[in-house]
Amino acid sequence: MALSKDELKAKILEKAAKSPKPQLYIKDFYECDPDAKPRDIKNIANELVKESKLMFWSSGSTTMYAVPSRIKNEETAGGI
Amino acid sequence: MAKHATPLLDQLESGPWPSFVTDIKRQAETKPECWDILGILELSYKDRITHWKHGGIVGVFGYGGGIVGRYADVPEKFPGVEHFHTIRVAQPSSKYYTTKNLRQLMDLWEKHGSGMTNFHGSTGDIILLGTRTENLEPFFWDLTHDMSQDLGGSGSNLRTPANCIGQSRCEWACYDTEEVCYQLTQKYQDEIHRPAFPYKFKFKFSGCPNDCVAAIARSDISVIGTWRDDIRIDQAAVKGYIDGKFPSNGGAHAGRDWGKFDIEKEVIALCPTKCMKMEGGELKINNAECTRCMHCINVMPRALRPGKDTGASILVGAKAPILDGAQFSTLIVPFMKIEKENEFEELTEFIEKVWDWWMEVGKNRERVGETMQRIGLPTFIKVMGIDAIPQMVIEPRSNPYVFWSDEEVPGGFQRDVQEFRRRHAA
Repeated sequence: MALSKDELKAKILEKAAKSPKPQLYIKDFYECDPDAKPRDIKNIANELVKESKLMFWSSGSTTMYAVPSRIKNEETAGGI
Repeated sequence: MAKHATPLLDQLESGPWPSFVTDIKRQAETKPECWDILGILELSYKDRITHWKHGGIVGVFGYGGGIVGRYADVPEKFPGVEHFHTIRVAQPSSKYYTTKNLRQLMDLWEKHGSGMTNFHGSTGDIILLGTRTENLEPFFWDLTHDMSQDLGGSGSNLRTPANCIGQSRCEWACYDTEEVCYQLTQKYQDEIHRPAFPYKFKFKFSGCPNDCVAAIARSDISVIGTWRDDIRIDQAAVKGYIDGKFPSNGGAHAGRDWGKFDIEKEVIALCPTKCMKMEGGELKINNAECTRCMHCINVMPRALRPGKDTGASILVGAKAPILDGAQFSTLIVPFMKIEKENEFEELTEFIEKVWDWWMEVGKNRERVGETMQRIGLPTFIKVMGIDAIPQMVIEPRSNPYVFWSDEEVPGGFQRDVQEFRRRHAA
């Protein structure tokens, strides 16, 4: 990894917050640090979920990531 | 008393076969929300469009799989199925249950859900159909704390690994499918419960080429038992089959008179590689030509058995038809020893190499078999560090094109093409 763990976390959160699409695939985060292994990116994205800074959205067959404030929640009017 | 009129669904009860409509009506007597399942389904039949919304943010804390969100798009008409989430529960190895465990599971689902189930999904999980968001965490607590069971996989995760009954009951199992399935399930807990991949990924473990868990048709990595020495033959038992002392196929087709057993017609002529013959009253097998189809062993189980030098073939890339149609997995490693002593090191190294490559080059929502097709088998096996063999090609003799890479040609491709063309016009 070219970036430190905290730098990569910040980059991932920035991408999730500013991307035109509110929900992103794990591969969309790879460009946050092209030198990092996909598995490292996955581990850090999952850590951000544990910290409640990202959330999973799943269709059942595919899982995506989003910042909680941007995600569509079927049970509330909030989110995009 | 039915809550909704369901004339279209009622027709499904009129046939001679068991009907899920009857089942749901029966369940609705104790779980009234089930009337709304029938109501919403009737409306879908009438409107010819689904009224389910699939997916969402629902789950249990710390897990990124195991729950599939589902909502009705007409909750005002059918409030009982406003939320109707699916829960996937990991099945025990080989799907061995105790009645106590099944009762506990059903009691739990009556308590927290609709009581409706789907035993089992095509991956192998126990599928529990229909619950509300607020019931998910209490259900998960009871499942894990009272029953020591866990959720299965969903989304872009490693899905719940599945295996055949293996050596627990089957004499043909060439490796311990239950052990490897259990150990790999434990090893890859993170990949099962948290999304890791471009799309879903499945392992399946079959003990022999009969492939009772359909690994070759359904799993991204199929581990199928095989052997590399000779089929064991008991010539006296072969004679016993010919003389009618033993029923063929273990008596599986004994419900009808098929006439006297004919080894030429029922075994030798059906061998796909024609590697068998009768000679001097004995069955001879050219084992070098055998493709391990299992037909002869299935027909004469007393007479023929797999060899003793056993392991597994590793195939990659099967999938059900979602985008490009169904495909079987492709043979990549013809034989690998599957040994607990080294913690299945060779297999796990192979799996992780496939994952690293697919995570890097696979597109979103692309199964590994589709990535292999897009990039090409030659590149895939090069990345895996495996030499090409004819068995990887469907028709090795029908394709005249052989490609050589620069490093495989002495001196490389440094020739002067212009000079060559002066002597050999294109």
